[in-house]
Amino acid sequence: MLELAHVSHVYANGTRALDDVSLTIPKGMFGLLGPNGAGKSTLMRTVATLQTPSAGTIRFDDIDIIADPEKLRATLGYLPQDFGVYPRVSAYDMLDHMCVLKGIASAGERKSTVETLLAQTNLWDVRKKAIAGFSGGMRQRFGIAQALIGNPRLIIVDEPTAGLDPEERNRFLNLLVEIGENVVIILSTHIVEDVADLCPRMAVLAGGRIQLEGAPHDLIDRARGSVWAKSIARGELADVAAAHEVIATRLVGGRTIVHVLSDQDPGPGFTAVSGGLEDVYFATLATMRRAARPAAQNAA
Amino acid sequence: MFASIVAFELRYQLRNPVFWVVAILFFLLTFGATTVEQIQIGSGGNVHVNSPAAIAQIHLILSIFFMFVTTAFVANVIVRDDESGFGPMVKSTRVTKFDYLLARFVGAAIAAAAAFAFVPLAIFLGSLMPWLDSETLGPNRAGDYLYAYFVLALPNVLLTAAIFFAVATMTRSMMYSYVGVVVFLVVYLVVSSTLRSKPELRELAGLVEPFGAAAFGNVTRYWTAAESNAMLPPFEGALLYNRLIWLGVGLLALALAYARFSFAEKGLSARAVRRQAKVAARLAASKPEIVAVLPPARPAAAAGARLLARARFEMAQVFKSPAFFVLLLIGLFNAGGSLLFSNEIYGTPARPLTFALIDTLRGSFGIIPIIIAIYYAGELVWRDRDRKMHEIVDATSLPNWAYLVPKTLAVTGVLVATLAAGMVAAILIQLYRGVTDISMGEYLRWYLLPESVDMVILAVLAVFVQALSPNKYVGWGVMVVYLVGTITLNNIGFEHPLYNYGATGRVQLSDMNGNNVGSALAWWLRLYWGAFALILAVLAHLLWRRGTESALMPRLRRMPARLADVPGVLIVAGLAIAGASGGYIYWNTNILNEYRTRDDVEARQAAYEKKYLKYESLAQPSTTDIKLAVELFPREQRMDARGRYSLVNDTGAPVTDLHVRVPDPDVKIRGIEVPGTKLVMEDAANNYRIYRFATPLAPGATTQLTFVTQRWQKGYRANNNETKVVANGSFLNNGEFAPLIGMSRDGLLTDRVKRRKYGLPAELRMAKLEDVKAQQRNYIGNADWVTSDITVTTDAGQTPIAPGRKVSDVTKDGRRTAHFVATAPILAFFSVQSAAYAEKSADAGGVKLTVFYDKKHGFNVDRMLAAMRSSLDYYRANFGPFQFDHLRVLEFPGYASFAQSFAGTIPYSESIGFLADNSDKEEIDYVTYVTAHEVGHQYWGHQVVTADMQGGTVLVETMAQYSAMMVMKNLYGEEKMRRFLKYELDNYLRSRGSEAIEELPLQRVENQGYIHYRKGSLVMYLLADRLGEDRVNAMLRDLIARYRFRSQPYARSLDLVNGLKSIARDDAERQLIADLFERITIYDLKARDAVISKLPDGRWQTKLTVSAAKNYADGKGKETPAAFTDSIDVGVFAARPGIGEFSKADVDLIERRTVATGVQVITLVTRRKPAFAGVDPYNKYVDRNSDDNVVAVTEG
Repeated sequence: MLELAHVSHVYANGTRALDDVSLTIPKGMFGLLGPNGAGKSTLMRTVATLQTPSAGTIRFDDIDIIADPEKLRATLGYLPQDFGVYPRVSAYDMLDHMCVLKGIASAGERKSTVETLLAQTNLWDVRKKAIAGFSGGMRQRFGIAQALIGNPRLIIVDEPTAGLDPEERNRFLNLLVEIGENVVIILSTHIVEDVADLCPRMAVLAGGRIQLEGAPHDLIDRARGSVWAKSIARGELADVAAAHEVIATRLVGGRTIVHVLSDQDPGPGFTAVSGGLEDVYFATLATMRRAARPAAQNAA
Repeated sequence: MFASIVAFELRYQLRNPVFWVVAILFFLLTFGATTVEQIQIGSGGNVHVNSPAAIAQIHLILSIFFMFVTTAFVANVIVRDDESGFGPMVKSTRVTKFDYLLARFVGAAIAAAAAFAFVPLAIFLGSLMPWLDSETLGPNRAGDYLYAYFVLALPNVLLTAAIFFAVATMTRSMMYSYVGVVVFLVVYLVVSSTLRSKPELRELAGLVEPFGAAAFGNVTRYWTAAESNAMLPPFEGALLYNRLIWLGVGLLALALAYARFSFAEKGLSARAVRRQAKVAARLAASKPEIVAVLPPARPAAAAGARLLARARFEMAQVFKSPAFFVLLLIGLFNAGGSLLFSNEIYGTPARPLTFALIDTLRGSFGIIPIIIAIYYAGELVWRDRDRKMHEIVDATSLPNWAYLVPKTLAVTGVLVATLAAGMVAAILIQLYRGVTDISMGEYLRWYLLPESVDMVILAVLAVFVQALSPNKYVGWGVMVVYLVGTITLNNIGFEHPLYNYGATGRVQLSDMNGNNVGSALAWWLRLYWGAFALILAVLAHLLWRRGTESALMPRLRRMPARLADVPGVLIVAGLAIAGASGGYIYWNTNILNEYRTRDDVEARQAAYEKKYLKYESLAQPSTTDIKLAVELFPREQRMDARGRYSLVNDTGAPVTDLHVRVPDPDVKIRGIEVPGTKLVMEDAANNYRIYRFATPLAPGATTQLTFVTQRWQKGYRANNNETKVVANGSFLNNGEFAPLIGMSRDGLLTDRVKRRKYGLPAELRMAKLEDVKAQQRNYIGNADWVTSDITVTTDAGQTPIAPGRKVSDVTKDGRRTAHFVATAPILAFFSVQSAAYAEKSADAGGVKLTVFYDKKHGFNVDRMLAAMRSSLDYYRANFGPFQFDHLRVLEFPGYASFAQSFAGTIPYSESIGFLADNSDKEEIDYVTYVTAHEVGHQYWGHQVVTADMQGGTVLVETMAQYSAMMVMKNLYGEEKMRRFLKYELDNYLRSRGSEAIEELPLQRVENQGYIHYRKGSLVMYLLADRLGEDRVNAMLRDLIARYRFRSQPYARSLDLVNGLKSIARDDAERQLIADLFERITIYDLKARDAVISKLPDGRWQTKLTVSAAKNYADGKGKETPAAFTDSIDVGVFAARPGIGEFSKADVDLIERRTVATGVQVITLVTRRKPAFAGVDPYNKYVDRNSDDNVVAVTEG
């Protein structure tokens, strides 16, 4: 179990990337949803011991991550949002090298680890090719392969599905689900479906704060009745946006479907939507923005 | 479009670390050449370091080196798109081939030119450094820099850029581009050295040598240093054409590159496709080994595997990088050049013995490893981050030390590879020069092992700095500051190795004495700095930057807690080792020995002069007999001396005070006694004492001085370790262990700047030639003629030697004692030597000739014996009897490189004649020459000694030169002397411009080597030729007879000049003597052309057009023309005199003809058809341009 208590981080340039984040993450997949720039990567890196937070404590089971990062690293698998590769090194060799770095000393164990992972990630046929020449999906799969070396108890994957085609994405997520039962997996993403499909628990991070936390089902239930949809012509959007709080728009067959947030029926043409996680997510973001706006005005 | 691509390319290149690395490398190389005496590039030495010629030379030479760099820049333009995978994207844009290719080329070439601009910058900044002797500096003139940069360097940079751009375009490979560079360089070196060896091809060379070095050299070849300091060759003629021709070649290369470049990528050949398919099939066929549960990570057990894998990985990354290849090549090129030409004397190569090559390697390779360490530490420490692998790698459980150690190992690996490459270059040169038993042991013990440890220590610092720096560039900057700081600190008096990181003192190598001087201290220092490096490494481990963090504070805060375990233990161990070894070193350098910086030594010299120079002319009793017992303990580096001087008051007046001094501060006076005196002044720090006679010593009265002294280096010194009393090859003169009577000027400060700094007059001038009072003192430290009785005891394995006939030689209880008694008067100036010697003897008319040499250095022993015999034969026949029944040459370690004549005893450094390689008959046989010179001193110096006044060295040094020249002439024939005379002439002409005070006529020479040796040789050779060798020798024999063993008044140069005048037969000869001795006369003899025609009787007539001029120069080099008419050699030849195998058979006719100021035609008639004709063809005159004396004939 991973516990974050009052974690804050301020960068040298003054950006407050994390603001008093407290979370408890049990075994299984945990989705961390948030828009770009919400602080997801900062949070992920902080948990992955790559960054020391300005304040707060993080514990994983009995490990104090901040005081004792080495201990966590021994049981950590981490796939960063963006990573490069060394030139001229093949997937097999690189994975083998990563095994050494993670502490698998015996050549036999390395061989079975590397080959099992290459097979699992469907990279076996291209194992001798330089990673530098891999497609985005292949590279991500390589990334997850290295994160799984040595059976880590905590796996952090930061925006792994960005840029993957649907098939790649499915294969990738399935891989995560397979291993996700006995370990803690934190999956950060800005794609709602990733979370909706896979994660028993989730949180929404925006503006450096946890805006929402819970099981997707509960959250969807909670949001029921407050999201309304209407199909409008493209030109009407400005009027609707002026009158209502629009949380999402979507084009269907040339018309625009708007989702608005409202506690009561917002009027003619609107129908209550049973609501998906996406609506919950957008509603949360909208609420946050609403809360931020008066504050900004007060400050002014 | 074009301009913006240029700008983009330029920005790209300027941000590329390669740019900064080479900019800094060339900056430091140049800065070093400008500010550090030990590093020299091209010129320097005799001319100002910032003189126009020196600036130009540095630009020329570095611009040739720079082709490695320009290639990196321009080949990158071609190669990088393919490597980065950006190629297709860029090439599919609308950019035209012209813009794409040429704009990028222009950008890269500008970047290269900008990097080269660091060279002039470094010269300029270097010339401002405070520690430079202002005498080696001239004014900084913008024009000199602009000329060197724009006329010489820039065209070269553009030329190599264009050529290797074309190569890169065609090969599409960095590696092959560099292979191209190497091929180009080899061809260039071979062709240019061939052209250089043929004077008739010089004009051609000026045009075809691509870098303008030959064209520049053709104009400046005969410039005196004064001219080099003031002038630049006009940008016209061959130089201009050269630049235009090669810019044209550059454009052609660009055109070629343009024509051959294609946007399309080459597809794979069908065969390659098949092969790939086969490989893919094979890969697909093999099945993965799949396990249900992945094996767990066990970091604790993986330490060894991690270290190994990481080290292998880091090394592979480094060794495969092109930058490594470039740096290695530059280093090798540099080392190869120095190794090939190191230790040449008179243009004759030395045998490439390991110890000498290692010395050269250490010097020439010095800065390259440091640059490599700095560069690679940055690259390696920051590579994961640069490659964006850091988040993955840093999140693994890899401990910090497993980053640090492999990276340090990789940096060290590169450095050791560089060292090893230098070693391989040295071994190749040995093999090339015919050395077959390669001493790998010496290479390892003296070079590779110690230097590698130094490299580890350096690498740790560089890695540590990078680990703490917020980015790579700051880290590099810190290291450059460290490097410059080290040089600077050393130069301003902070010299102690205990606070200069990585300093190991100076290890001096010798084949005789191994690495005994300095090596033990160096290893202690390595232990000391190694301990520091350990601490730095542990700190780097504790503070290693992981993940995305770059701030140091969080890591610092975490550090104390992390110290607890092994790191703390290591730090404590490091501190303990550093403390203990540092304490031991300090005890050695500062307590057992006195620590003296260069400034301390100079201040001491200045104080000595201020206190005691006033006693210089105080009349003192003369020494008549010396009895001495010297005990040497070579392994302890200890010498105990006891002695007795018999003194007589020959001053003609009562003497009240006796001044006794031991100028060498390494000598301890254990006791001095002079009966009937009282010690009235004792300056223990300076070993200067004054004894006062209770009753003044009456004229003619005698007394005795007895003394006990000791010289013993205990432990190690921080600098100036003992090189006189050593384990094998001790060599001391009496001033280095025994007291002197009275004050002299020896050992005082001579550098004008330093003298002024200490408030002394800028120079101490000699007594004028007319000052007859000065004839009361002689110039060899005013040493008297004495009888000697010297006993030397040393270890049984060694041979003790001192001047005198050996009367006994006893070995007892592991000690060998030899007793020497001089059979003729000797100067109170003598040597003591002891080493494990091999001996070879020969007889020369009752004189036993012996060479004492290290058994490894027998190469030239026979040549030396022959030279001794030839010399004695000539001298006895022409000058008079030889005073001893023995004559010895003794090798001593190459801590100094000279040969010196003591009575019957000639110490001779291992670094000169013993190693000379005279296998090439065309080279000057300087072994014979130097030997003959030193044997000549047995007459000139040890029979006739001269007054301490102007011209004092003429009868000693000039006459020894003359004697040796005559021996050489007898051995090799007059026809072979030209090469030698020319060497002396060039040396004289080059040296006179660097004169700091004033050039004096030969008869007034004030101990100026270029006058009494170089000009003296020419003068005496010409006069012997002109007045008749026998007549001159008869006069000399008479002169020696008059002054043989004579004291006050001592001989002076006028005795020689008057003697010569006395045998002159006409006014022209008298005029010549006066011009050569009394004035500074520079001739200019030139053969304009020679036209031959066949006479009716079948003989050949040569009409030789000669121009002639004579100038008198003043002490500053200002010349005034003077009319002259003289009788000068003219001749016609079948081959060019002085070149190759030229010999008597090639001489068709040589005879003296009247030559006068102006142009004249001289007609010569010969039987054979001549090929060359000339005036003064053997260069006997001091001729401003000695290469235009001979021309090839043309048929009329």
